[in-house]
Amino acid sequence: MWLPVLFLVVGIALGFLTDFTIAEQYTKYLSIAILAAFDTLFGGIRAHFEKTFDQMIFISGFFFNITLAVILTFIGVQLGVDLYLAAVFALGLRVFQNIATIRRHIFQYRKQINQKKFPF
Amino acid sequence: MKLRGRHVIFSLVLFVFGFLITFSYQQTKNFTQPNELDEQEWERDFFYRQQLIQFEDKNNQLQREIDQKRQDILRLERQLSAEAEEIEIAVDKKTKLQLITGELPIQGPGLFVTVRDSEYIPSEENVNQYIVHDRHIQLIINEMYSAGAEAIAINGQRIFSDSYVYCVGPVISVDGIQYPAPFTIEAIGDPDTLQESLEMPSGVIDILLNDQIEVEVGKKQTIEMGARIG
Repeated sequence: MWLPVLFLVVGIALGFLTDFTIAEQYTKYLSIAILAAFDTLFGGIRAHFEKTFDQMIFISGFFFNITLAVILTFIGVQLGVDLYLAAVFALGLRVFQNIATIRRHIFQYRKQINQKKFPF
Repeated sequence: MKLRGRHVIFSLVLFVFGFLITFSYQQTKNFTQPNELDEQEWERDFFYRQQLIQFEDKNNQLQREIDQKRQDILRLERQLSAEAEEIEIAVDKKTKLQLITGELPIQGPGLFVTVRDSEYIPSEENVNQYIVHDRHIQLIINEMYSAGAEAIAINGQRIFSDSYVYCVGPVISVDGIQYPAPFTIEAIGDPDTLQESLEMPSGVIDILLNDQIEVEVGKKQTIEMGARIG
């Protein structure tokens, strides 16, 4: 249980410690990658609540979504079309949907516990 | 085992997630900082611009000062040249006066008058009436000065403002130096004027001829006279 938290802390620390900066035109890719990561993370949590969680789908989705978002943005930049907006839109929508689903599941979960505690 | 594997995957995903988040955060911070830097730079730019304007103002002022000074110099130079011209005129005048007073040697066109005693002196007459006297010489000299002679010499001896001419028996003494007849009186000046004034009817030459003196008048292209010695 502590291992993921430890790795999160280590990742955050590493992010703070990295000194190098990337050029301004690539910050777009970074934000898209973060958004994709968010999406996958919340998707994983939702899948966990729905008991359909699959490690392979989770991990491949994590990296694949990030890569896809970045590639989409890259193509958009090359064509002069703001395709990254599409990625932002789709991923943002899914993040909200996932969070909403998670919220419902949490309420349901608490209801079930309450029912177990006070079964009258 | 299964639980552990899931944890590892979560760890990996969270690690990447955390890294991305913080990296992005730092990136954004790095891109907001340049704005402050820009502001600082702008202030510095402004400061340097102000300084530049000040320098240019100062330059302008100094340039104007230089112009003023140049004009002053020009004015002084004109004044100096005017003074130099005045001095030159004064020097010319002084030189001319020195030439006239005999402080400098002089040369120029002029006239000479040669007077000699009469060759024929009748024995019954007084010899004094047939020879050249100091008054004749003085007459000639005065007439020449009146006619504008600048310098006069008797037998090569120059006459100055304090010179004297007088008879000592048969010779004439000029400033204490005796000369026998004939006497040649040379005058530097306009030869025509000098000659005409001498040859005026009942003028100097007529008087001399009446006094039985032989007179010879001639023009000379250049007459040289030395400066006063002592």
